[in-house]
Amino acid sequence: MFKLCEKAIDIAASHKAAFGDIRIIETRSQSLAYKNGEVGVLDDGCSLGFGVRVLLDGAWGFASSNEVTGPEIERVSLLAIEIARASARLKKGDVRLAPEPVYRDTWQTPYLIDPFAVSIETKLDLLARVDAVLRKDRKVKSSTAFMNFIREHQYHATTEGSRIEQTLLTSGAGCSVDAVDKGEVQTRSYPATHGGQSLGLGYELIESLRMLDHAERVRDEAVALLKAPECPSGKLDLIIGDNQLALQIHESVGHATELDRVLGYEESYAGSSFATLEKYGNFRYGSPIVNLVADATVPTGLATAGWDDDGVKAQRWHIVEGGVLKGYMTNREFCHAVGDTRSRGCSRAEGFGNIPITRICNLSLMPGDWGLDDLVRDTKDGIMMENNRLWSIDQKRVNFQFGCEIGWLIKNGRRTKMVRNPTYQGITPEFWNSCDAICNARHWKLWGVPNCGKGQPGQTAMMCHGSSPARFRGVTVGVRPK
Amino acid sequence: MISAQRDRKLCDKIFSFARKKDAEVIVFSSESALTRFADNIVSQNVSNRSLEIVIRLVEGGRVGRVSLNHSGDAELKAAVESAIAMLKTQKPDPELLPLPKPLPVRENTALYDEKTAAFSPMARADRIAEAVEAAARDGQLASGTFDNGWSRVTVANSRGVFGSHLESSAAFKLTVKDGDGMGWADDSGAVVGEIDFSGVSACARAKARLAKAPRDVKPGRYTVVLEADPVANLLLFTSIYGFGGQFYQEGQSFMAGKLGRRVMGPNITLEDNGLDGPSASMPFDFEGMPRKKVVFVENGVAKAVAHDRRTAAKAKAEPTGHALPNPNPYGPIPTSVCLRAGGSSLEDMVKGTKRGLLVTQFHYLNVLKPIELELTGMTRNGTYMIEDGRLAYPVKNLRFTESLVAAFNRVEALSPTRKVKSAFFGGKFLVPAAKITDFCFSSATSF
Repeated sequence: MFKLCEKAIDIAASHKAAFGDIRIIETRSQSLAYKNGEVGVLDDGCSLGFGVRVLLDGAWGFASSNEVTGPEIERVSLLAIEIARASARLKKGDVRLAPEPVYRDTWQTPYLIDPFAVSIETKLDLLARVDAVLRKDRKVKSSTAFMNFIREHQYHATTEGSRIEQTLLTSGAGCSVDAVDKGEVQTRSYPATHGGQSLGLGYELIESLRMLDHAERVRDEAVALLKAPECPSGKLDLIIGDNQLALQIHESVGHATELDRVLGYEESYAGSSFATLEKYGNFRYGSPIVNLVADATVPTGLATAGWDDDGVKAQRWHIVEGGVLKGYMTNREFCHAVGDTRSRGCSRAEGFGNIPITRICNLSLMPGDWGLDDLVRDTKDGIMMENNRLWSIDQKRVNFQFGCEIGWLIKNGRRTKMVRNPTYQGITPEFWNSCDAICNARHWKLWGVPNCGKGQPGQTAMMCHGSSPARFRGVTVGVRPK
Repeated sequence: MISAQRDRKLCDKIFSFARKKDAEVIVFSSESALTRFADNIVSQNVSNRSLEIVIRLVEGGRVGRVSLNHSGDAELKAAVESAIAMLKTQKPDPELLPLPKPLPVRENTALYDEKTAAFSPMARADRIAEAVEAAARDGQLASGTFDNGWSRVTVANSRGVFGSHLESSAAFKLTVKDGDGMGWADDSGAVVGEIDFSGVSACARAKARLAKAPRDVKPGRYTVVLEADPVANLLLFTSIYGFGGQFYQEGQSFMAGKLGRRVMGPNITLEDNGLDGPSASMPFDFEGMPRKKVVFVENGVAKAVAHDRRTAAKAKAEPTGHALPNPNPYGPIPTSVCLRAGGSSLEDMVKGTKRGLLVTQFHYLNVLKPIELELTGMTRNGTYMIEDGRLAYPVKNLRFTESLVAAFNRVEALSPTRKVKSAFFGGKFLVPAAKITDFCFSSATSF
């Protein structure tokens, strides 16, 4: 494949491009689901294509195609050059890339069991058995059990001389049930909502989830929620489960610290950010116990790789340290804006057909020192919430509102009754500053976000967020139309 | 541009590889280009040529589905063999429908324009430059996108179904920042020559100017005048959760058990029309069934939901041509939803409002309670206080938490002019502006 890459590199160099690269990507994917007792999804896909990026006359051009042939690489490379020249029609200065060493190396996601070597029959059999357990209640109107696997084989060549080959593997699975009665719909999922659990692992992830062992509880909780009282409205101390907290990190810290958003380059679509440059290094994002670390090297992370799509080596750094904003998600183009001479390596593209953009890295809340039982015992009037059901946040990542699948009230240090439709709303810095307790490493878990949408044209990226349950004081809960 | 004839040959080749098993083929081909700008410069500029071939085999209650993006004989043969092997992995499902026989399908040939498909990167840059330079002259910052391209979708099966639909598209979306004021406007269509670039530019710039120095506003219930874009985004969620046959049959739709009963205000008529008019689209669905007009709500009364063959069989009804590619977990979803116009212009709605809010856009909508269609989301890019029939001042953005079923019972006025809007997840929504009383805003933000 690298031989084919040379065509694009030669064309970019012959046109005196300041930078050029080509990514040839071969993808194998498999999605399976049982839904309501039937095969709901069954797809085995493969794709091959390439994308060429050129920095010419100080501006970017990108073009891609599914035909990986010499003549097509030539056509697409010349189109990328034409596009770069058009981009230069409107510029303030030349795009300048932070330097990065040249690499000629390979990287591969470590795994134990190749998911594509496990038979479809075995996978469907497990999903059918899980689905059958989920459906064993007449109030269950919709059930699903699913698995997804993606293997992406990338060849990345740059005019600077890097030749990087990476094979990234992700596996994911989960199950979900909707119980319906008297105008009420209640959903429970395992192990998480929105795609279950996805990690950079092989089929061993599916085995470790033990979905069959959890299906009955998931079903019974969904049915029980139908008769549970509504989440009360008011201000309560809120203990957020590790899975929901992962999404809270994603939405209110991850996106807020993407440097392209901060600089206004996402203004027209996803929005910008309140975490503006003058806050860098001095803004109290959260309480002193809040430490958030970005890490492209964390084992099993969905954003874990050897290099990003700018050819920048994987790194680990603080975004929030001791509650203070200390870092951003950066790429080679924008890192100058925060005075950095090197990118943090957050430039990634979905597949071959998209230009790399700044993405959230794996971003985790570091564990504290509380046991979960001790935290509950220490809470007088509170609520616990688990598994996301609803998420919404404003275009500067300030005002958010989340809903969870299930909540439990806490009275005088004891977890009491289950409540349905639990929601909470807050303002990002106020919320993180109200964090007064984080559970310890025994409760810490890495959660996959396999479906993060951003960019125009829209791209999906994957990343992980690690967290353990944490407590936030005096949060507005039970938001509903009044 | 790829011809329907090429796709027919491709499908026939796949059928021949399928060893007389029932086979369905969906071919997606496209070339798309998009120039993105921000901070008054071009920030991204891309072009993509793509092909996706989805092959589904059905035999004896078993299904095998593979997808690939190459059309060489060797790749196609290997893909079909893989699908055949997949058939052996399942227990037969007695409810799995065989592939359908063909039904007459009309063509929508008016949605393709060669010039739109081929609009060049420099031509896009020139149009963007006009808007950017106008913004810069006033000290404003422009960001947005201008995209164009073509797409063809072909659906065929070995029982004779064949439909192929070609569309071109272009869209210009502009966000303008004027100090702390934001404004937005867009225009889109199948023909780039019909896009009102200067109108979009003038509208977004004026809105941003008018939105400067926004004031704090207390959350609470307000009369709202919603422009077409926020109406389209509310209808997107109404369509997914309310009008799809599967959600209806699972009891998760607000329409469940209410056909023939009043569910919305008497001024609300909602239908899906992908056949003609501004919301016209692909005239068949992903099973190759002809798309039909479906009236979901007529004068506030629930009338029908959209069906694919599976939900139609369960309901003992005819499919309405709204199937997604099978198998899928969602069932049929309508994508060309039209809200009947009213008689009060947006200006009249403002004039007739003692105190309320004018909303340009909503942002990041999501559902908590599907049966009540209880949604939350933010206002964006121009929210203005209306006092005594005029726009009094801009306000900071607000979060709403509201039941759409309840809100559609409080629609006081609809505008006579309608616009086609592509909501967040796509589709073509033909919608008027709307005035709704007592719309619940639950919290505020800082800008």
